[in-house]
Amino acid sequence: MKPPAPILDVRDLRVTFSGRGGRINALRGMSLQIQPGEVVGLVGESGSGKSVLGLTALGLLAAASDPQVTGSVQLDGFEMVGASPEGARQRRGTAIGAVFQDPMGSLNPVMKIGRQVAESAGGASDEEVAAMLEATGIRGPAAVARCFPHELSGGMRQRVMIAMALARHPKLIIADEPTTALDVTVQAKVLDLLATTARERGVALLLVTHDLGVAARICDRIAVAYAGRIVEQGTTEEILDGPRHPYALGLLASRPRLDGAVRGGLLPTLPGSAPDPTSSVVGCAFASRCPAADGACLTPVPEAHEDGRLVACHHPGELTTWPDRAAQVIKAAVAESAADGLAARKAGDPRTPAVVATGLVREFDGRRSGMLGRRGPALRAVGGIDLTVPAGGSVAIVGESGSGKSTLLRMIVGLLEPTEGTVRLAPGPSPQMVFQDAGASLTPWMSVGEHLAERLAAVGMPKREHAAAIDRALHAVGLPVDAAARRPAQLSGGQRQRAAIARAIVVPPPLIACDEPVSALDVSLAAQVLNLLCDLRQQLGLALLFVTHDLAAARAVADEVVVMQGGLVIERAPTDQLFTAPSHDYTRELIAAVPEAVAA
Amino acid sequence: MTRLFLNRALAMVAVLFGLAVAVFVLQVVIPTDPARAMVGSNAPEEVVAQARADLGYDQPIPAQFAAYLGRITRGDLQHSLHTHNPVSDDLGRFAPATIELGFYAALIAGALGLGLGLLLVGGGLVGRVARVVLVGWAAVPAFLTGMLLIVVFYSWLHVLPGSGRVDDDLLLPDGPTGLLTVDALLTGQFALLGNLISHLVLPAVTLALLPAVAIARTLHASLEQVMGEDYIRTARSKGLRERTVLLRHALRNAAGPTLTMAGLLVGLMLGGVVVVEQIFSWPGLGLYVTQSIAYSDFPAITGTTLALGAAYVVINFWVDVAQAVADPRLRSA
Repeated sequence: MKPPAPILDVRDLRVTFSGRGGRINALRGMSLQIQPGEVVGLVGESGSGKSVLGLTALGLLAAASDPQVTGSVQLDGFEMVGASPEGARQRRGTAIGAVFQDPMGSLNPVMKIGRQVAESAGGASDEEVAAMLEATGIRGPAAVARCFPHELSGGMRQRVMIAMALARHPKLIIADEPTTALDVTVQAKVLDLLATTARERGVALLLVTHDLGVAARICDRIAVAYAGRIVEQGTTEEILDGPRHPYALGLLASRPRLDGAVRGGLLPTLPGSAPDPTSSVVGCAFASRCPAADGACLTPVPEAHEDGRLVACHHPGELTTWPDRAAQVIKAAVAESAADGLAARKAGDPRTPAVVATGLVREFDGRRSGMLGRRGPALRAVGGIDLTVPAGGSVAIVGESGSGKSTLLRMIVGLLEPTEGTVRLAPGPSPQMVFQDAGASLTPWMSVGEHLAERLAAVGMPKREHAAAIDRALHAVGLPVDAAARRPAQLSGGQRQRAAIARAIVVPPPLIACDEPVSALDVSLAAQVLNLLCDLRQQLGLALLFVTHDLAAARAVADEVVVMQGGLVIERAPTDQLFTAPSHDYTRELIAAVPEAVAA
Repeated sequence: MTRLFLNRALAMVAVLFGLAVAVFVLQVVIPTDPARAMVGSNAPEEVVAQARADLGYDQPIPAQFAAYLGRITRGDLQHSLHTHNPVSDDLGRFAPATIELGFYAALIAGALGLGLGLLLVGGGLVGRVARVVLVGWAAVPAFLTGMLLIVVFYSWLHVLPGSGRVDDDLLLPDGPTGLLTVDALLTGQFALLGNLISHLVLPAVTLALLPAVAIARTLHASLEQVMGEDYIRTARSKGLRERTVLLRHALRNAAGPTLTMAGLLVGLMLGGVVVVEQIFSWPGLGLYVTQSIAYSDFPAITGTTLALGAAYVVINFWVDVAQAVADPRLRSA
C-alpha cells in the first residue's frame, strides 16, 4: 500500500534574509515530511532555522527582512513557496493552526478572549466558543471568554492559543516553543494537552523546540536541525537511545540531567559555535566542532541518507560518547589563572558561612488604586525563611514563578529590604549577582573592560593594576583578552553571560547569587556556563546561591536544594537525597514534570 | 472603571487649583499696576489709591488670594477694565465662536490624522508623497499658512470667504447654543448653514494642520511598532485579511500614544486659536484676549487664561477616559 501523501512536505528549502552583515542563510536546504496525524519534534538551537521553517509554512516571514525562498513547502498539496498572498492567507485560515511561544504577547491585549477565539473559527456563537475553550481544559469557559488576556495566567493563555489553533479543524498545527515561557508543572500539562488533542482529532503536530526533553515527552519522531538543515531524524526512541549524528549526540550529552549522572562542572559541552550565517558552508557545517571530523568532512555537504534512520553525516554513528574536551579546556584555564594569584584573594574565613539569613519576611504593599483608592491587602512574597550558605558552598533555590524565590535572593544580596529578619554576610566584597538576561544587565555603551574596571575602582585598586586584573578575570571565564574592548552588543549571548560572570568575580566576593543564569541560553551554552560557575566556585572558593526553575540545572551545581512554594520552604535536603527520595508531594510533582530526554 | 473615573476627576480638580494659583501668582508678580490701568495714567494719586482699595489690591497677599479663590469658585471673574462688563459675560459672548472653531478644527485634525496615519502604514507612493508634503507644510507657521490660504482661496479663486463667522448681510440665527452652525441647523436655515460652514473652512484647516500631521506621525509610528507584535502574527496566522488585521487588531492597540498626543495637541490648538482668530478676524476668545492685552485688562486676561486652562484640563480628562476605554489594562489602574 502506498503511504498517504504527507500533510507537510518540505523539500530542499532555502531561505535567506537581509541582515546587517550581508544576507543571512536561515535555511540551507531543509527537508522534512510530516504524515497526517503524526507528532514530530523539530529540535535545534538558536540559529538552526527551526522557527523559520514554521513561519515559511505559514507564509508569515516578515516582509521587512526581505526573505528570499527557494525549494518547496507543500501544505496539504498546496505549494506555499511563491504562493500569492491571498492563496497563502486562505490556507492559513483553514489548513494550518499556529501556537507561538509567548502567550501574553500572542493574544491581542485589547480584545476579549471569546472574540479572538470566534475570529479564529471564522465566526462562532458564544456556545461554540465556550465548547472550544472547554475542550482545552479551561474551566468556566463562558467566564473566560469574557476576560481580557491580562486577566488570565500564562498556562490559561496558552490553552486559549491552542483552542484558537484548533478552531478551524486544521490538518496541521505548528507549535513554536509553546511551553518555553511557562512554569514546569504547567509546561507538562500544556504539552500533554497538545499531544492528546492532536492525537484524538488526527491533527498532525510540528513541535518546534530547543529542548530535546520537551520533544521527547510527546513526539513520535524527532528531527534535529543544525545550521539550516536537518542533520538527523528518527523515532524518538532511536534519537534518545543513540544519536548517530555527532551534533545530536553532543546536544543530548550537554543537557543537564535530572538523574544527576553528571555533576560539579563536568557537563560535556559543544566547543566552538555554529557557522556564520552570512557565509556559505562548504562541506559539513558541523565539522569545525566535531570530534569525529576528518578531511572527508570538509568538502561535500553530507546528504541525508538512510542509516536505519536519516542521518546527514560522513561518519554516522562513529561517535558513541561525547568527549569532555571543552570542560577540560576551561578547567585548565581556571587552574592557570588561579595560580596567577586570583585564588590568593580567597574570600573570608572558610569557617564563616557566606551568608546566614534568619527569619526573612518580605511583604509588598497592596497596589493603591489611584489617588482615592485604598491599598489592597499586603502581599506576603516570602514568609519567614532561614537560609545558610556555607563558605564555598552551593545552594539552589527552586520553585515556580510566584514562589518568592527571586525575592528571597534579592533580600539576601541586599537589593531588597526585608520586612522582617536579618541577613548576615561574610566579610569581604558585597555579593555579586548574575542575572538571566546578561544582555540587559550590562550597560550597552560600556565596554566589557569598563564594566570590570568599575568594580576594581570601587574597591580602590590603583588604575595601573586594572588591565592585569581584567585580563585574569576574562581568562578565568574563558573570554579572549580582546573582549575587554568590546561592547555587549558585539558579543554572543553566551559571551555576554561570561562577561557578566567576569564582572562578578573580578573582585572575588564570598558569594555569587545567580538568578536563572542559564534559562535564556541554548542548551550547549547553558552547559558551559554551569560548568564555569562550578569551576570558579572550586578555584576561587566562592559560594553559589542559585535561583532556578530548572531542576536539572540545580542538580548539576548545588550541594543543597531548597524547594519553595507560595513564599515558604516546602522541602530542603542535600541534592542527591532530594532527587532520589523527595519527601514532599510538591517536590515529587516538580520532578515528575521535568521533561527528560532519556529513552524509556 | 468608575474608580478610574473618580480618580481622574480628583486629579483634574487638583490641576485646576494649581492653574488658579499660577494665574494668581502671575497677576502678583507682573509689574503693571491694574488700579492705574483701570483709572488711566493721568489720574491723580488719590483716585488710584481709591481704585486700588476698591479692587482689594491694598490687602495683604494671602487675603487677596483668599478673596480671589472665593470669587472664581462663585464664577465671578471681576469686571473687564476695558469693556466694563463682567468678564464672565464677555467670555459667554466670545467663547461659542472659539468652541465652534475648535470643534471643527479638532474634527478635521482627527480625521486627517487618522486617514494619513493609515495611508502611511500602507506605504506606497501616495503615502510617501503625502508624508513629505504634509511634514513640510506643518513646518510652516500658522499665520503664514492662514495668510496663504486667504490669498489663494479668497483673493485669487474667490471660492471661500477670508474673515468673520458669517457674511455681514445675513442675520445670525437666534438659537439656544450660541454655536451658529448648530443653531442654524436647529432652526432649519440651511442657506445660512452653508454660509457659516464656508467661513469655517479656512480658519479650521489652518488650525488643524499641525495637529493633524502630529497625530498622523504618532499613529504611524505606533502602528508600525504594533504591526511587529506577536499578536499581529497570531491574527495573520488565523488567515485574516490584511485590512482586518490593521483595522481590527492594530489600530486600537496603537490608539494609546495617539490619544496622549492628541491631548497634548489641545494645548497647541488653544495657543494657535489666538493667532488664527486674529488672522481671520474670528470674533472669539483669541480676539478678545489680544485686545485685552493691549489695554492691560487684567481681569479679562486672567479670566480667559483660566477658561482656556480649564478647557485644556477637562479635555485631557476625557482623553484619559478614552484611553481606558481603548485599553482594558488601564481600567484597573
